[in-house]
Amino acid sequence: MRSRVSCVVAGTVAALLVCTPALAHHGAASIYDMTKETTIKATVTEYVWTNPHVELGISLRGGTTTELLLELGSPPNIRNRGWTSRTVKAGDAVTVTFHPGLRGAKIGVVIKLVTADGKELHA
Amino acid sequence: MIRHLLVLSTAAALFAAAACSKPAAAPAAPAHPNLSGSWVRPLGDREVGGLPPVNEIPLTPWAAAKFKAERPAAGENQDFANTTDPSLRYADPNGYPRISLHPMRFKLIQTDDYVYQLWEYNQNWRQIALNVPPDPDPALTWYGNAVGKWEGDTLVVDSVGYKDSTWLDARGLPHTQDLHIVERIHRVGESLAFDITFEDPGAFTKPWTAHLIFKPAPDGSMTENIYTISDELRFRERFLQQKPAIPIRR
Repeated sequence: MRSRVSCVVAGTVAALLVCTPALAHHGAASIYDMTKETTIKATVTEYVWTNPHVELGISLRGGTTTELLLELGSPPNIRNRGWTSRTVKAGDAVTVTFHPGLRGAKIGVVIKLVTADGKELHA
Repeated sequence: MIRHLLVLSTAAALFAAAACSKPAAAPAAPAHPNLSGSWVRPLGDREVGGLPPVNEIPLTPWAAAKFKAERPAAGENQDFANTTDPSLRYADPNGYPRISLHPMRFKLIQTDDYVYQLWEYNQNWRQIALNVPPDPDPALTWYGNAVGKWEGDTLVVDSVGYKDSTWLDARGLPHTQDLHIVERIHRVGESLAFDITFEDPGAFTKPWTAHLIFKPAPDGSMTENIYTISDELRFRERFLQQKPAIPIRR
């Protein structure tokens, strides 16, 4: 499983700006390690279109139990970037890039998601 | 004689018909630009401006101390887990102009006697009464008491009557009940500019300004985005492992 995970330290301020998740409700730096990006292939366990942030649960083993809980922007913010309440659903295979939680917390904030049919969406 | 009458009546009929078919006069040009529409400050867009850095805002000692004591959920000194942000702790309305700083949409609806501003965030709104004097003793409200008038192509909005419990922005910028905001709203190309002057002797040693630019939203629809304390506590439970202090909707 470890081989399926690649971690990339964001190299430049410009890259960070391009990848800025659409968070209006709270800053990300006190929860997530914004200097790290993790890209992983996973199975969606839940996708909740809610406030204050849309939630995406994923399993790394193809199961139905959420092993990593990821947040996206608020519904209007990510809608402006092409997301809808039906972009993904439980059971979908996705490739997701995110800033991981601090201190090993099993959470993250989504930067980018690629659906099984190759559609790329930025959060 | 009869022939003459026939010719005259025919000519009169033709004249009348020509007069009736004359195109109607073009409607008069509107006296003021129409600011109605859907507007947005796209996230990460460097052109859309914002409130200036705090060190450029002339805070009074009271305001500086209050600002320092706050724990915002975003910005330089962010502490989301223990924030003092009233909009997150109590689900208070954002107040103005904070609500316009989200990367979300708002609509302006302009009529002859009011301009309405409808925000996507929390479905809050304010009204700007046109061509009436300011209320000399306004009630204190979340979004103030605003009057407006046209100066050429610019809508000048004067507002007072703000509750002092709101923050001017997510960083925790304070104000008092004496906050007085003057906005000059005008078009810049396809965009909409708000040049805002803040005056509040209790919080600022002198007036200061901010410039916000809003761009046309790609479409007119608004997405429901209502902030509730139950959703906030649920989010904190899931992402921060904070146990809700009160019962929440499950």
